[in-house]
Amino acid sequence: MTEATTTIENKTGIHARPASVFVQKASSFKSKVQIKAKGKTVDAKSILMIMSMGLTKGTEITLVADGPDEKEAVAALKKLVDDKFGED
Amino acid sequence: MAEKIKGKGVIAGIAVGNILLAGQNLDSFLVAYKPGKPDAEKKKAAAAIMAVAENLKKSIEDFTAQGLKEQAGILEAHRLLVEDPSISEAVDTQIDISGSAPKAVLDAYEANAKIFEAMEDEYFRGRAVDMRDVGKRIAKYLLGIKEPEIVGKVIVAGKDIEPSVIAGLPTDKIAGVILGVGSTTAHAVIIAKTRAIPTVVGVGDGIAKIADGDPVILDGETGEILIRPSDEERDSYNDKIKKQEELKAHYAQLKDKPAITLDGKEVELVANIGSPADADAAVKNFGATGVGLFRSEFVFMGKTDVPKEEDQFKEYKAAVEYCASVTHGEGLCVIRTMDIGGDKPLPYIQVGKEENPFLGYRAIRISLQRKDLFMPQLKAILRAGVYGKAAIMFPMVINVQEFLAAKEFVEDAKRELAAEGQKYSDSVQVGIMVETPAAAVMAPALAKYVDFFSIGTNDLVQYTLAVDRGNAQISYLYNHFNPAVLRLIKRTIESANKEGKWAGMCGEMASDPNAAIILMAMGIKELSMSAPSIPRVKERIRNITLTKAKEILDKVMEMEDGDKIKDYLATLG
Repeated sequence: MTEATTTIENKTGIHARPASVFVQKASSFKSKVQIKAKGKTVDAKSILMIMSMGLTKGTEITLVADGPDEKEAVAALKKLVDDKFGED
Repeated sequence: MAEKIKGKGVIAGIAVGNILLAGQNLDSFLVAYKPGKPDAEKKKAAAAIMAVAENLKKSIEDFTAQGLKEQAGILEAHRLLVEDPSISEAVDTQIDISGSAPKAVLDAYEANAKIFEAMEDEYFRGRAVDMRDVGKRIAKYLLGIKEPEIVGKVIVAGKDIEPSVIAGLPTDKIAGVILGVGSTTAHAVIIAKTRAIPTVVGVGDGIAKIADGDPVILDGETGEILIRPSDEERDSYNDKIKKQEELKAHYAQLKDKPAITLDGKEVELVANIGSPADADAAVKNFGATGVGLFRSEFVFMGKTDVPKEEDQFKEYKAAVEYCASVTHGEGLCVIRTMDIGGDKPLPYIQVGKEENPFLGYRAIRISLQRKDLFMPQLKAILRAGVYGKAAIMFPMVINVQEFLAAKEFVEDAKRELAAEGQKYSDSVQVGIMVETPAAAVMAPALAKYVDFFSIGTNDLVQYTLAVDRGNAQISYLYNHFNPAVLRLIKRTIESANKEGKWAGMCGEMASDPNAAIILMAMGIKELSMSAPSIPRVKERIRNITLTKAKEILDKVMEMEDGDKIKDYLATLG
């Protein structure tokens, strides 16, 4: 299992477009990937679950992956969040 | 014999085509559906989800290939909603409860839609629509209801039609529009108007009598709709269609002639548009010599984020180029900055609940506070100005200070563009819509600062007379010939002319031939209207002298009753 913690920095938070980008990326890995935030844990491959968390700017999230490519998955997704999903 | 339903004809013309239902009701299909065993239903649901995702993928590829990034982006989000792992679980659970795969799919998405609807954030609340849309798509697949293929011309029908549905279909595919609701100012109707699509509204429950794919004949003048007409009925309409063609031919030969009176006074007749494609049609088909109102709202609507400067630039540039192409570069394209408020909230504009959105936080009031919205739009227009003649117009201005503040933003936008090394036009005119009584009263002061006025009569009449034109009980009071309104208009035009500026009009009044002659006598330079109205107004102007029009105006200004003025002018036409 690999974990990494980061903070949402793009100003509009994770709404539809960033959530789409995030889910597409997460789905490209074989490992099970989850997001932990606000005391909840959800499937990172589910756009519904991610959007329903209401991740706004400044929210701290932890990325957890478990599987054959867990390290790559966590690294790639953390980079996506840190790069503000290519926004701003 | 055909079944007949009747509504109110709002855009004249006969249309023949097959029905394309927008916002279909699935209830009857759900009742008729015979579910199999739960396991079989679960398999069917899973297969439907995969098939719909595949279809979406194909559409996304098509849109991407055509450079339609926005549409592709929306469908991509829909595809992810279809393939969402949490949904397949929810669907299976629902099948255990209800036994029916299509119902389970609808319920699963409905449950999610409810969660989103309850969210604080306005943007997330708005996403409930997407979830229901997606659920319906899969359910339709399961029920064997095919997504409509557009073969030949269609007549789009629905209780209420989202503006994006009509805007999203190619113009040459839509023969007519039928609306269950009665509003003549619904956005769908406004779009239909700019494209001269015969339209009937207010058919109410009649809409339920029409099925997808039904052949119908629609008369946009009488409001009659014939469902599944017989051959005889088709024939009887052929006469009407022939007359329609004759009038069209007469108007077509007027196309390239100027709108000039018998004694040589010329008025510019230009078009109100909602997209660059409308500008193309307006100049090519109806002889518009420019655009007097480009409603930029459609650049903002249907978007999840603030539209980017680059995307806006492409739209404005296209419209500016169309205007320049027909008039040796002289055709002006007036682009109105965002005119949106609480009645049409957008995900990236938080207006909140307002008691009265038409007197609320909207239009220029938002733009002046939201640099992130205003700047990209101004920069995009200034850049588009390089490709012809562009003008910037601010809506809802009530005082000099607002105009000066907005003008300062324009100067800032120029400085930013210069710093970025972008090409822009320094000669873009900057003016205002005169649509509040305050602006009309202060016209002598405002005229010192602006380059032009464009009188927006729809709101000016509404605000001056305190009459909501959508309210059927008092709509008899709504009259652009009301003497109070005429005085404000006259004052506005004269104030502009006195300062050497020009005045135009872009409200519905401009498309009234009887109004056109008195406006011309008041000294108006330009009349902007939905393009199909141009030939009618042109015909009226070409058959009168300015001297006669001035006499009529003098008489009208002596009259005290708006209804009598209207009747008097009608007897002259």
